[in-house]
Amino acid sequence: MKWQKKGLIFDPAKHNLPDDSIGFAQSPQTLVFDDFVRVYFSTRKKDAATGKYLSFIAFADFDKNFTKVISISSKTVIELGGLGCFDEHGIFPINILRHDGKIFAYTCGWSRRQSVSVETSTGLAFSDDEGLTFKKAGMGPVLTSSLYESMLVGDSFVQFYEGVFHMWYIFGKKWIDAKDNEPPARVYKIAHATSTDGISWKKEEGKQIITDSLNADECQALPTVTKIGNRYHMYFCFREATDFRNNPKRGYRLGYAWSDDLMNWNRDDENTGISFSEKGWDSEMMCYPHIFQCDDKVYMLYNGNGFGKQGFGIAELQTS
Amino acid sequence: MFKWEKMGRVFKPTEVKDRSWLKEFAQAPAVLVFDDFVRVYFSCRPSADENGQYVSYSAYVDLNRENLLEIKKISETPILKLGELGTFDEFGTYPVSVIKYENEFRVYYAGWTRCESVPFNVAIGYGISKDEGKTFDKIGAGPVLSYSIDEPFILSGPKIRRFNNKWYLFYIAGKKWVLDNEKPEPVYAIRMATSDDGINWIKHNKDLIPARVENNEAQASPDVFFYNGKYHMFFCYRHSTNYRGKENGYRIGYASSPDLINWERDDSKVGIDVSAEGWDSEMISYPHVFELDGEVYMFYLGNQVGKYGFGLAKLEKYQP
Repeated sequence: MKWQKKGLIFDPAKHNLPDDSIGFAQSPQTLVFDDFVRVYFSTRKKDAATGKYLSFIAFADFDKNFTKVISISSKTVIELGGLGCFDEHGIFPINILRHDGKIFAYTCGWSRRQSVSVETSTGLAFSDDEGLTFKKAGMGPVLTSSLYESMLVGDSFVQFYEGVFHMWYIFGKKWIDAKDNEPPARVYKIAHATSTDGISWKKEEGKQIITDSLNADECQALPTVTKIGNRYHMYFCFREATDFRNNPKRGYRLGYAWSDDLMNWNRDDENTGISFSEKGWDSEMMCYPHIFQCDDKVYMLYNGNGFGKQGFGIAELQTS
Repeated sequence: MFKWEKMGRVFKPTEVKDRSWLKEFAQAPAVLVFDDFVRVYFSCRPSADENGQYVSYSAYVDLNRENLLEIKKISETPILKLGELGTFDEFGTYPVSVIKYENEFRVYYAGWTRCESVPFNVAIGYGISKDEGKTFDKIGAGPVLSYSIDEPFILSGPKIRRFNNKWYLFYIAGKKWVLDNEKPEPVYAIRMATSDDGINWIKHNKDLIPARVENNEAQASPDVFFYNGKYHMFFCYRHSTNYRGKENGYRIGYASSPDLINWERDDSKVGIDVSAEGWDSEMISYPHVFELDGEVYMFYLGNQVGKYGFGLAKLEKYQP
């Protein structure tokens, strides 16, 4: 794989974002229209009650050269959950799938815990106004923890291939106890589930589908998959479990795997074809990749340094 | 129409010595009948921590089968360990329901985690015993029955039953959190799921029992048994707010069904109420009904939901 970087295309500091956003444009994901591309992302506001951050969804519409922001969402795209719900304290990220005349959204909902910072689950919502707003299928999640996936289910990415809905997502393996000024640290891995209707999912229950390259505590996040010819390509981001926020050697970078059968994945980071820039917004960290196809081209959106504090950029796959 | 004769309190947890994990409470009694004793599982607590927060364990007492008021043994240890950091049962395993089937002892239990905006969340776990029900090992670190689109939080109070070659799990699911003087209080209703293997469950996704005392009535302890040609359910219910006293506190309700799916609630047939004075004068709750040697008995909790133990009643008269 070989990617040509086209640079930062959205800096949240340069736009007026809705709902009292204080910045961040994380985990960009697309809905492609005939003459523009809608890019959803998570931004943040302060929770008046606790002073902590709440992530919520906004979008920006781009022209198809990704050089111009046509418009930005002006009203709430999807509400956070009510008291005690799985998505009460944030939705981050959101994945959109257009299928059979419907627009599905798979959300990662966040709710805060006492002994650890957070728990997550995957929610489902639908839009009947071309993605301007989404209505949840219910108050609860569509995919959550289970016997062998005991925590932190989220980062769902769904595609419809050969008559089946495929979901790639992450689940938590454990929390590492707090030490050396670090809060409890989570470890999570990429997994796969299938569905015939996009609503009821069958997990492979605890099966990690992408091998570790760093060590057993490697954290793998945000799988994104696209099909080119007969081969499926997956990008994701990965990091060390601790000391990853300010240490570029241990922080997020992009990983790559391929599969010819959607069952067996071959991790092949050597062929990622994209890496840190020498300087600038993506010189220390790359994370939250999202691959999509548009007018016969393959693009990747991603975040750079600081988990997307400075926005997101785009790269285009070079045809060989 | 049932008519119950109260036989008095059987077990007083506050009188137990030498068990730091069993200081207060003996909640949600449920029996397993052995040849020469009756084991009553219940849930208990050590003293509260410095913040006034409790964890809960489950344990058992063995009663003389010939005289259920005589305690022969109290378990040496809790029957289940609390979960690891960040798992669903890190702070409690309460209540439990144990069944023996084909020489295997299975436990279904509610696991408690602590949240930030609401005090807790609950999901249902599963374990098996290798020592005749003295202790249980969890099958996985996660829950066997957890949240879904229509059951967003608080899956608790499991009661495992086997009818007609199928597993039935009666439980409660949270519907909403309401604020009582700014304190969140959960509202929950009785639900059911069925399974062929006891691990993969199909939720019925309906409330089985209509609310009676108010729309936000909370229902618990759905205790189902087959007797005299039909299914009977004793359960308990309370108001949504100010329910820790006599007026709005727990009472025992009753419903019957020909098929386990359609239930007719008729609390006037329950045949048991609070006493004029004493340990069960303010509330009665968490009924468990069982047949033993030609008689039908009910264990139940009294004031403060079992803080001072559980009592026994004997069926005096049943008129279909």
